[in-house]
Formats: sequence, structure tokens, C-alpha cells
Amino acid sequence: MTFLTGVFYYLAVASVVSALLAVTRRSPVHSMLWVLALFLHVAGIFLLLGAEFLAAVQVIVYAGAILIFYLFVLMLLDLPDETARPPFGAHWPLAAAVGLSFAALAWFAEVEMLAPAGVGVAPAATTVATGSPQGSLSKIGVELFGPFALPFEIVSLVLLAAIVGAIVLARRRAAGA
Amino acid sequence: MIVPVSTVLGFSAVLFGIGVFGFLARRNIILMLVSVEVMLNAVNLSLVGLSSHFEDLRGQVLALFVIAVAAAEAGVGLGLVIALNRNKPGAGVAELTKLKW
Repeated sequence: MTFLTGVFYYLAVASVVSALLAVTRRSPVHSMLWVLALFLHVAGIFLLLGAEFLAAVQVIVYAGAILIFYLFVLMLLDLPDETARPPFGAHWPLAAAVGLSFAALAWFAEVEMLAPAGVGVAPAATTVATGSPQGSLSKIGVELFGPFALPFEIVSLVLLAAIVGAIVLARRRAAGA
Repeated sequence: MIVPVSTVLGFSAVLFGIGVFGFLARRNIILMLVSVEVMLNAVNLSLVGLSSHFEDLRGQVLALFVIAVAAAEAGVGLGLVIALNRNKPGAGVAELTKLKW
């Protein structure tokens, strides 16, 4: 086991542990902090897999913007009795069964069926550690403005619709309007 | 590739299962949305793993789009939470029974 493989397994185990803690903690703010740990560890895995740009986006957009947004709303709402109540509904064993069976199904489909056959395509021979520029910003930019130009524009429309929708939903209605 | 792609995919399956459990079991609507973010992260992981496996950048571009959609989802979802909270304080989903008949 090389050093990088060890780092990957550390990041994977730490991500799973922080995800578990995030969905089980009673205090919502603690959950948010564990989700932050999860996002940072996933960014580390992106780095190991050669997706440097995505790792940066993960830290800036996910950990920096989306999570802070969630924390803002959480503190804006001020839920003092949240920690006193049980975090799960009465149906949580059913939810656990669904989650477990979905994970088992996906595991079976991906690990058992897909991986040994390699889907007919040879796996990449180069390693990330030897400096493959695969995740470099310029290549992603060429992809984004070449074959993915139309989806890119559609994503900007989606974001615009989300901005307008969030304003319309959260706006305080004027009296009589 | 420092680890086999099947390891990355299995790990992302476990993470997705945790997100499904959190979404179904939590009672707080904000934490349900956060569980959705955990699921989206798991999907991004499998996209990046396959992109690295096949040396194809399309997986990373798709993961970028997933992140953009996650940002839009967070904005609209939290706007809904604020609108709901204005009508009925608290963030529990069990109390939201107005549309039930």
C-alpha cells in the first residue's frame, strides 16, 4: 500500500464517519460542522483523483457558500427546542433499512458487476501522482465552452431561475398584495 | 489511478446510502436538505472516480453542473424553509400538514 492509497483510505473512512455523525447529531449546528468536515474530505479525494479544479470548487462553493448559507438560515430561524426533541421520526428503522438496501444495491451494481469487467474499456494507466494534467482548469474550460456550451448556458438559466424563485418565496408579502 | 475505481464507487454508494437514511429519518427540514447535499456529494464522487478511470473530462464537467444545481436547490429549498417558517415557526416536517387531507 503506497502512501497515497493510505491517504485515500483515511479520507474515505473520515468522510463516512463525518457523514454518519452529520445525519445523527441532535444539534443542527453540530450536524452542519460535520457536513463541513465531509465536504473538505471529499475535496481531498477529488485532489487524489486528479480533479484539482473540482476540489477548489468544492471548497469554495460547497464549504464556502452553500454551507454558510445553510448555517445562516439555521441561525436566522432560531430553533431553541430542536435539541430537546428526538432527531429522528418514529419511522427511522424503516429509513435505515431503505438507506442500507440502497447502498447495498448500488454497491452490488457498481463494485460487483461493473468493476471486474471494466466495462470493456481499459483503466487509465497513468497515475495522478506522476503529474497528469487531466483535471487542469484549461482543459475543463475547453470542454465547458466546446461540447458543453449549451448545458453551460442552461445551468446559468437554472441559477437565474433559482435566484428569482428564492426571492419570490422568501419575500414578505405587502399588505393586500 | 491510485485506487481501483470499484473502491471509489463502493465508497460513494455507502455515502449515498447515508444521505438517503438522513433524508428519510430526520425531522428537521433543514437537515433533510443537508442530507440531499450529502447524496449529491456521493454522486459527484462517483462521477469524478469514473472520469479519472476513463481519463475523460466529461465526468468532471457533469460534476460541475451537479454542484451548480445543488446551489440552486439550496437557494430555493431554504427560501421555502423561510416562507414556511413565517407561517408556522419551527422547522419540523411533522407539523406541516396543511396540504394533507
